[in-house]
Amino acid sequence: MLTQTDSKTLAYVNLFAVLGTLENLCELVPEAKDLLKDKPPISIGFTVKHGPKATLFFVDSCCHIEEGCSPCTIKLPFSSCEKFNGLMTGTVTPIPSKGFTKISFLLKTFVPLTDMLAKYLKPSQEDLANVAFRETSTKLTLYTAASAIAQVGNQDQSGKFSSGLMPDGDIAIDVTDVMGITLKIKDHHLTALRKPCDKPRAAMTFSNLEIARQLLNGEASAMACICNGSIAMRGMINMIDNMNRILDRVGQYLSV
Amino acid sequence: MTFPIYNYPKSQEVFKRAFKVIPSGIYGHQGPSEGCYIPHDAFPLFSSRAMGSHFWDLDGNDYIDYMCGYGPNVLGYRDPDVDDAALEQSKKEDCVTIPSSIMVDFAELLVDTVACADWAFFAKNGNDVTSLAVITARAATHRKKIVFFNSYYHGVSPWTQKLDYPGILEEEVCNNLYVNFNDYPALQKLFAEHKGEIAGLIAQPYMHGNFADNFFPDEGYWQKVRKLCDDHHVVLIIDDVRAGFRLDLAGSDHYFGFKADLICFCKALANGYNVSALCGNDSLKDVVSSLTYTGSYWMSAVPFAAGIACINKMKVLNTPKLFEKLGKDLTDGFVAAAKNNDFQLVVSGAPSLFYLRLADDDSLMLHQQWIAACVKRGIFLTSHHNHFINAALTHEDIKKSIEIAEDAFNALRHHSTSLSFNYHL
Ligand SMILES: Cc1ncc(COP(=O)(O)O)c(C=O)c1O
Repeated sequence: MLTQTDSKTLAYVNLFAVLGTLENLCELVPEAKDLLKDKPPISIGFTVKHGPKATLFFVDSCCHIEEGCSPCTIKLPFSSCEKFNGLMTGTVTPIPSKGFTKISFLLKTFVPLTDMLAKYLKPSQEDLANVAFRETSTKLTLYTAASAIAQVGNQDQSGKFSSGLMPDGDIAIDVTDVMGITLKIKDHHLTALRKPCDKPRAAMTFSNLEIARQLLNGEASAMACICNGSIAMRGMINMIDNMNRILDRVGQYLSV
Repeated sequence: MTFPIYNYPKSQEVFKRAFKVIPSGIYGHQGPSEGCYIPHDAFPLFSSRAMGSHFWDLDGNDYIDYMCGYGPNVLGYRDPDVDDAALEQSKKEDCVTIPSSIMVDFAELLVDTVACADWAFFAKNGNDVTSLAVITARAATHRKKIVFFNSYYHGVSPWTQKLDYPGILEEEVCNNLYVNFNDYPALQKLFAEHKGEIAGLIAQPYMHGNFADNFFPDEGYWQKVRKLCDDHHVVLIIDDVRAGFRLDLAGSDHYFGFKADLICFCKALANGYNVSALCGNDSLKDVVSSLTYTGSYWMSAVPFAAGIACINKMKVLNTPKLFEKLGKDLTDGFVAAAKNNDFQLVVSGAPSLFYLRLADDDSLMLHQQWIAACVKRGIFLTSHHNHFINAALTHEDIKKSIEIAEDAFNALRHHSTSLSFNYHL
């Protein structure tokens, strides 16, 4: 157990897991879709020195993220991982190196979208009282956590130790009858796919969204849930065991 | 032949109470999570009594038990000779201010029995003595590093855990070096890279890890490792907590033709009575004397009496030879039962500690379905861990076990041709 986090891993988590969840926000939340309605295609490239690079594409009211940032309309360079992480906490204002004419998209669409995402990922008790909000919040948190598992497993010292012990194959992370996520492991490198798994080598299944929510925000322990059957595991349990060790570490990054 | 399917309403009722007052309800390897109860409701959770090679759960379901309490049950539950010896001793004394002289009798018996032992030190759990072995190696060499073979298990003290385990600090595992078993060049390289830094190498006598076929040392491997340790003045520790006395009563190092500096015993030492032992060679006796290491119950007399009776009975029965035969008869029957149903069952490790894997699916899901189907019909197996043979196992037990395995394979075969996924066969 490491007690400190590192800013490079945090930058990967922030970009691919947190901003990457804009994909799901635009799919699940009608207000997010509305913000993008009738907008021409636009893309925002993030390039972080000694850190991650990725582009968010906004096309036809949908969003998707890709690694790298060569073909983008707006480019946001950051001189360090710390600076990029500052964007996420609101302490750093980005200055585009390309796409000045599209700055209104940043201010009028992108910022409201990220604010909306934050509302779902760090929900208030009042918002959670609304059942529909609570469900969407849990789904988005689960997508974020799963893709953060991949980032932490690839970047963080403890995460790399855990992924170093994982054999190749796909892990299915499912909520029964609600959603599915795939975590792919190949040569100890992890990739999270925001879609159900066809042929898992191991599966971790939450019996319902509420259990997933409690586990992700630390109200319940995975061990205890497995013991009482509210989380079921099957297949190569050692893969899930290592994934859960990374998930513990993800908690340290997402609570930053 | 078809067998009735078990249910566990009473176990499940008690588990609900347990969940409120005990972390996880049942924590550790004897619980649903680490015990890999898949699905969780296919397994009994609490036992009510045990006898010979069987135990009965809270609902009265009868199991032929191939986990043997994860090893301690070596002669059969409630073995009369061991229980009588323990009862006699308990009438005299058990946990007293100064030790009973029966401790010396037990130490002498171990020194006579275990090939590499010149002395014995007693504690309670396997973890107590693997930890003592590591402390001893460090005290003897004034070095920090310990070499482990990947997929090891040596207990739960912080030094045995890993960087990514909750509550374990980096500083507690930063002197652990990892290498693959049987890869001698990698071990040589590691010793060269850390020349003068390695205190000890700790190893199970062969790889009896989880989720993977168990495997033996290559021809001559241990002899090369022994020499490498000698050349580098590294203490060679054999963790015989699991395999001890099931392969060879003189120690598993003896079985593989080499001599350990320190050897750790626990599980099969006293047929379930609570005692563990570290044995070692003379050169390390004074080092152990110099350590601060003791515990409230470590000199209790009853487990010593049980241990003496257990070892003497294992000698009379020649349990390693007996287990080899029983384990082979059983697993040959399992393999044939699998084949009759077009499955391929792979058996690995020593027959007395056999490990099972269905080779028809690399996710182990099919295997887990079969294991669950066996448990629900009355043989207690696990899907991820090696099993254990005990001396009370009868030919009738083996015959019935094979019939149950066959029935479970048959259910699996009919099920796997249908499309739905369901563990409840
Ligand atoms: C090889 C080995 N070493 C050490 C231990 C730890 O023993 P205990 O659980 O008695 O502390 C075990 C227990 O399963 C074991 O199998």
